Amino acid sequence: MNLNFVRNISIISVIFCLCFFVSRSYAENDVYLSLSGTASRASIGLSEFVPVNGFFEEMNLSREFKDTLEADLILSRHFNVAVANSSYKFDLDSQFAYWMDKGVSVLVTGSISIVDQTKLIVGVKLYDIESQQLIWEDRYGGSVKNYRYVAHKINDEIVKRFTGEEGIACSKIAFINNSTKFKEIYVVDYDGYNLRRLTKDNRLNVLPKWVPNKPQLIYTSYLYNNPDLFILDIAKNKRKALSTIQGLNSPTSCSPDRKTLVATLSRGVYPNLYLLDNKGAVVRRLTEGKYIDTSPSFSPSGKEIVFISDRAGYPQIYIMEVDGANVRRLSTKGHCDSPTWSPKGDKIAFTMKYNGYFDIFLYDLPKQKIIRLTEGQGNNENPTWSQDGRFIAFASNRSGRSEIYIMGIDGTGIRKLVETRGESFTPTWSQGLSL
Amino acid sequence: MKKVLMLGVLFLCLVVSSCAKKQTVAPEDDEFGEDQEQTEQISDLEAALLEPEEFSQEPAIRGTEFDSKIVLETVYFSFDSSSVPQSVMKTLKENAQFLKDNPSINVVVEGHCDERGTTEYNLALGQKRAVKVKEYYVQLGVSPDRIATISYGEEMPQDNRHNEAGWAKNRRAETKVIK
Repeated sequence: MNLNFVRNISIISVIFCLCFFVSRSYAENDVYLSLSGTASRASIGLSEFVPVNGFFEEMNLSREFKDTLEADLILSRHFNVAVANSSYKFDLDSQFAYWMDKGVSVLVTGSISIVDQTKLIVGVKLYDIESQQLIWEDRYGGSVKNYRYVAHKINDEIVKRFTGEEGIACSKIAFINNSTKFKEIYVVDYDGYNLRRLTKDNRLNVLPKWVPNKPQLIYTSYLYNNPDLFILDIAKNKRKALSTIQGLNSPTSCSPDRKTLVATLSRGVYPNLYLLDNKGAVVRRLTEGKYIDTSPSFSPSGKEIVFISDRAGYPQIYIMEVDGANVRRLSTKGHCDSPTWSPKGDKIAFTMKYNGYFDIFLYDLPKQKIIRLTEGQGNNENPTWSQDGRFIAFASNRSGRSEIYIMGIDGTGIRKLVETRGESFTPTWSQGLSL
Repeated sequence: MKKVLMLGVLFLCLVVSSCAKKQTVAPEDDEFGEDQEQTEQISDLEAALLEPEEFSQEPAIRGTEFDSKIVLETVYFSFDSSSVPQSVMKTLKENAQFLKDNPSINVVVEGHCDERGTTEYNLALGQKRAVKVKEYYVQLGVSPDRIATISYGEEMPQDNRHNEAGWAKNRRAETKVIK
């Protein structure tokens, strides 16, 4: 019996080893990568970017450039990406046969060169494998230091050629982190690279929000002991106070045309919503009452505002027109907060407390239905949309401390945005930014 | 031998099925979806457009400092509540009496929350707590233009413990003297 047991254990371990080696050898040759195998995707082959001058730095850069583009194509979740193995040859004729064999329909290839040690030139070509036709060809320039952005731009162009919509690889996510024991604003590329601290105030900064199509963040700071609204330009590295009314000046949402802001002000009484112009002056009051009205978010049309109110006795989601008229309630249960309108206008992402935990939900406006995205993984808060409306970034304490994650809007493909010390909160995803 | 092999196969099946489960977190309409068809219509009166009014009178605290020599008692709230509890009214009455005895002193009431709940809601809840305390001071005869209100939401905990004992200390309103 004992011997049999050992034999069976070894059978099982052989099976495990087989599985392991099969996947290993698979990984070493041609890797077909995707975050989920269910949706129908284009199969795209990615070959080396040929180093034109062939010196050491160029060969290294070629590899890193390809890795960046490969990661972008995978993260886009539009493609199944295949990369070549080491025995792969560069001559074009054998390429087509090679990729055809791999079931790939489109090939991305090109060249890369470093000029004057700091400048980068990338030639990119897109081939249809079956017809062997060149579909697209272009040249991109940039600095060697910012090679990742050149790869991001090429990714976004490829995405556009396949889907007709802008890619998101040039986008950034800003958030709050407390690793300094204070709360400062940080910004990072959508893929977790180039983490940068924006404020060094040794104070409390909360709830940053991107201004649409601008490298600007509006946020609230206790710099002068009052929660004032500031605007920070990350390109110019400048900031100024926008609304400094005594009491709360937070949170806020900027209209799509950047002409108005909706913000929560307290003005000595209860926190209600106001419309401000882009200089911070009050245009009109939108809500009134002895209850909380806060967490505003503009619709992409700029005609409506979604917000939360505890007028029902607990925080629920409401929509009103931009002049404050026609208030209607969307949610019916749970503690809801942080509603944010999708870029296409058909959905509202929000967080709702249910069974003691906060989770991310979508409200589908045409279907008038609530869809749950996270479950059983701690608290999940502050959803923010990618500009293509296909991903949501959010804060979650699933690891034991609050960190920023990204998922598809079907709730799958969850990845941690970036490793940081301390805790991170309240992400905001840039819209229409191309740095 | 067979039994053990069966167990092994069962184990493998479990591993495979649990992996498969993880990958297919298909979003499904859950119980919240059912009664969503009737979005409630709130009376238009409530939402009626309001003319911009004069700002409520309260002293500005922006850029000011606090007098740490004069300490007024802090009061504590119940979870997710901005009602002034019966138990703290005595403390607030003493604070109000001090303010009436010292008419040259202006104060700020700071509302705070525990870490549970969202950042935005807690900022608003802290403000509501501060306003409730201000209203009580005013009711007791303190002039409203001597009392500023501000919220720190969950951002400035007094107690860093992540349990009820810690949270109870963080749900508070502090009355600070403006220099």
